[in-house]
Amino acid sequence: MAGLAAAFGSGAMTNSYDDLETAGCFFVIGSNTTACHPLIARRIYRAKERGAKLIVADPRGIQLSNFADLAVNHRLGSDVALLNGMMHCILRNGWEARDYIDSRTEGFAELEAAVADYPPERVQAITGVSVRDIEAMADLYANHGPSALLYAMGITQHTTGVDNVKSCCNLALLCGYVGAAGGGVNPLRGQNNVQGACDMGGLPNVFTGYQPVTVPENVAKFSQAWGRPLSDKPGLTITDMVGAMLGRHIRALYVIGENPKLSDPDWNHLHHALKKLDLLIVQDLFLSETAQIADVILPAAAVAEKDGTFTSSERRCARIHKAVEPVGQALADWEIISRLSSAMGYPMDYAGPSEIFDEMASLTPKSYAGMSYERLGLDGLQWPCPDRDHPGTPILHTQSCARGLGKFHAIAYQDPAEMPDQEYPYFLTTGRMFAHYHTGTMTRISPHLDAEQRRGYVSIHPADASKLDIADGDLLVLASRRGEMEAPARVNANVQPGCLFMPIHFGENPANVLTNAEAYDPLAKIPEFKVSAVRIAKAREASP
Amino acid sequence: MQKQVRAWLEDGKVDVFLAYKMDCGHPLPHAFTRERIDETEDLVTGPARYSLEKFATQIAARHPEKKIGLLARDCTQRALNVLAVWNQLPAEQVEPLPVNCCPSALKPHADCTYLEAPATGDVKIQRGQDPRQSLEAIDAQEGSERFTRWMYEFQKCIKCYGCRNICPVCFCKDCSLEHPDLIGTGHLPPDIPIFHLVRAVHMAGRCIDCGLCEDACPAEIPLRLLYGKVNTIVKDLFDYDTGASDALSPFSILGDKPTLKPAPLLAVPQE
Amino acid sequence: MTLKFVPSICSYCGTGCGLLFQVMDGQLVGTLPMKTHPVNQGKLCIKGWNLHEHITSELRLKHPLLNTFGRMTKVGWDDAIGFAADRLKTIVAEHGPDSVGVLVSAKITNEENYLAQKFARAAIGTNNVDHCARL
Repeated sequence: MAGLAAAFGSGAMTNSYDDLETAGCFFVIGSNTTACHPLIARRIYRAKERGAKLIVADPRGIQLSNFADLAVNHRLGSDVALLNGMMHCILRNGWEARDYIDSRTEGFAELEAAVADYPPERVQAITGVSVRDIEAMADLYANHGPSALLYAMGITQHTTGVDNVKSCCNLALLCGYVGAAGGGVNPLRGQNNVQGACDMGGLPNVFTGYQPVTVPENVAKFSQAWGRPLSDKPGLTITDMVGAMLGRHIRALYVIGENPKLSDPDWNHLHHALKKLDLLIVQDLFLSETAQIADVILPAAAVAEKDGTFTSSERRCARIHKAVEPVGQALADWEIISRLSSAMGYPMDYAGPSEIFDEMASLTPKSYAGMSYERLGLDGLQWPCPDRDHPGTPILHTQSCARGLGKFHAIAYQDPAEMPDQEYPYFLTTGRMFAHYHTGTMTRISPHLDAEQRRGYVSIHPADASKLDIADGDLLVLASRRGEMEAPARVNANVQPGCLFMPIHFGENPANVLTNAEAYDPLAKIPEFKVSAVRIAKAREASP
Repeated sequence: MQKQVRAWLEDGKVDVFLAYKMDCGHPLPHAFTRERIDETEDLVTGPARYSLEKFATQIAARHPEKKIGLLARDCTQRALNVLAVWNQLPAEQVEPLPVNCCPSALKPHADCTYLEAPATGDVKIQRGQDPRQSLEAIDAQEGSERFTRWMYEFQKCIKCYGCRNICPVCFCKDCSLEHPDLIGTGHLPPDIPIFHLVRAVHMAGRCIDCGLCEDACPAEIPLRLLYGKVNTIVKDLFDYDTGASDALSPFSILGDKPTLKPAPLLAVPQE
Repeated sequence: MTLKFVPSICSYCGTGCGLLFQVMDGQLVGTLPMKTHPVNQGKLCIKGWNLHEHITSELRLKHPLLNTFGRMTKVGWDDAIGFAADRLKTIVAEHGPDSVGVLVSAKITNEENYLAQKFARAAIGTNNVDHCARL
């Protein structure tokens, strides 16, 4: 998000799902779309069957690769090099959009100088993708436009996550696809309301609608609206909070609808931090791994048990409606927060979510101001929607970027924080599988989803498996510099030799025992889940 | 239409009537009742088609005493016949109210314009199975080509089970698609072509060609053609028109007299 | 006998598919794709089709719980909220508002996220607000 905002001035998907179907070419990088965003994969299938081109770049072979005009497996964490290589080829062949670059962008000279260092021969050495394929990717992307670039966590969960995103933006700007129908840079959000949580000011440095807490007018506006003097000092990110908990600077943590014990990069590190707290309040649907060590556990209502809105990847704010009463004594999160706040001496007395929404909209002039429950209907509205007559915005940056000119960033490739070595010779990457979701608290107790996959596994290439005499189902011990854990092997040619894959959903095989909390993007503070170095050994053979 | 439903509810001809009601421009399925009779003024007959007969089956299972009315297109009527044959929904418990299907070129085959296969693209025509084809055209394809084309379609499957979930005549408690000995779990695409062929076989003598499965398929696999083929085989072999009447299906293993004896799945063959 | 279909949005991934919760006799019994929704056009994935299952799970938390010396005790709302508020007030008084962190959520609604950050900023007085989207 930080990368998108730096390039265009707005940290959100530039185009819409409907619009994607008009793309001439798709470039899918770091997104296993059919498993993680199946209904967006559907749009790709549809456009593809009508003749759109499809490029897939992923360290693993994914379902979408089978349909690609060109599918490459670049080495884990080498995205910047690959993208720079494509741009190098585009510039060398004169395929860039000159008029667009001249009239709508800045920083082109710096970009040109930076990518000059990435001839395809060098990029092949870094990424493992052949010179011919790099040139073909550049050709497909630049000459079959408009091209829509889609990415997900495979781009962001790296120490170079912001650089990766900026490189994606560079590529789209270079070909003039930002602001164009069927083009754009489109991050696919992992959770239903990530976009909304960010839009609502669920970040340490901004109020709603990305109004910085460091701007005195913003602080004054919100202080007046909320009747309390507010701090203008940016707060701590989740990554920094863990450190502050260990240092006893943070004494109390209120966790709403999250399971950081399984989603945080380093299980042991976080466990110690949470243990140091004087007070841990957890508000959730289930007794998650985090709730189990909380001091106070507050039962929350689920999606069908309350009213409200979610904002999707395509910036569409849409209504949810209460279908049934909450189970037991559970309450909607907004009611719990209101009660807690009132008990703290700051009364919150809302008749319902509609009233909260209206208060939020009145303080969020650029994006949500024109929305109301009545206007949202069942289709919702896509922000920016600045006034009551505004129809919403399917495509961002059509006339000019939100920040004015689109900004190129000169990005140099850097290795991931951890590369395989003699002691830890394998790459490990993590992700989701199609039937499960995030830390599994919702999906593993769902009988039809549990039936698809009951336990964790680690995918290993047949060549590595035969070298280590590993058969399907054998129990492996994986160790990294952080810790070790066990998981059964799944021998599978979808991963590359030298690279392992583990799904993140399974608390008894917690991948985050192995991943690295020290390695995160310096700006976005997103941990490098996608790359760690591990060693493996067989613990025991599969029971018959 | 609204007046007729109102009269049926007031007269006690039915206790509940399944149709659609507009909500912010969306026709949503709705159960109209005597208690909220004025809602019938907002009743609409389409254009969306939800699996009303499936909802009727679910009501009947819980409330055998309730009389259920519903909007019935031709395919709904066929579904009701099949559900009666398979002892899922007694015919005397339902009161179908026939509605005009949208007139279309497909009238003899199926009657809804939404079922007209959408114009498709060159790539699908080259590599997959164009949903606008006739079964004869598919039969005319050379064997290996036909197989490759179907495999292209199946490869897109994201294993949502939507085809089964939405099917008005899918009612088994234990579904073969979720039997781990038949179909492997945990990967995409699912085991192909077994996943799709297992379902196709189970549609023999059941599929009423309503098209809800194809409409629910995120990958646009032309499932109506696949299941249509299965039903032409049933027609050829057993002279059975699925859903045309309440005649017992040739595959019926429910009811008083089992016609097939299921063998244990892992039985060792006797010498 | 009651049967209703309540429009909502899927709460798994960020696509935002429109769906209907099927409620029979007051019980949540199923999830259906909304046929006419602009996002998913009448289709869902395996997670969406089974969205109701996590909501009706036996494992849902049904009462507030207090953890006293490793034992979970069921308590009423007033006790749970009172305990949490008292402890928070004490910690803020002793160590200042920045000794508290609030993790909002990519799973709860916009309204709830708005209130949660308002709670942190106005009721506690800290900008230590973040969520797991980074993770």
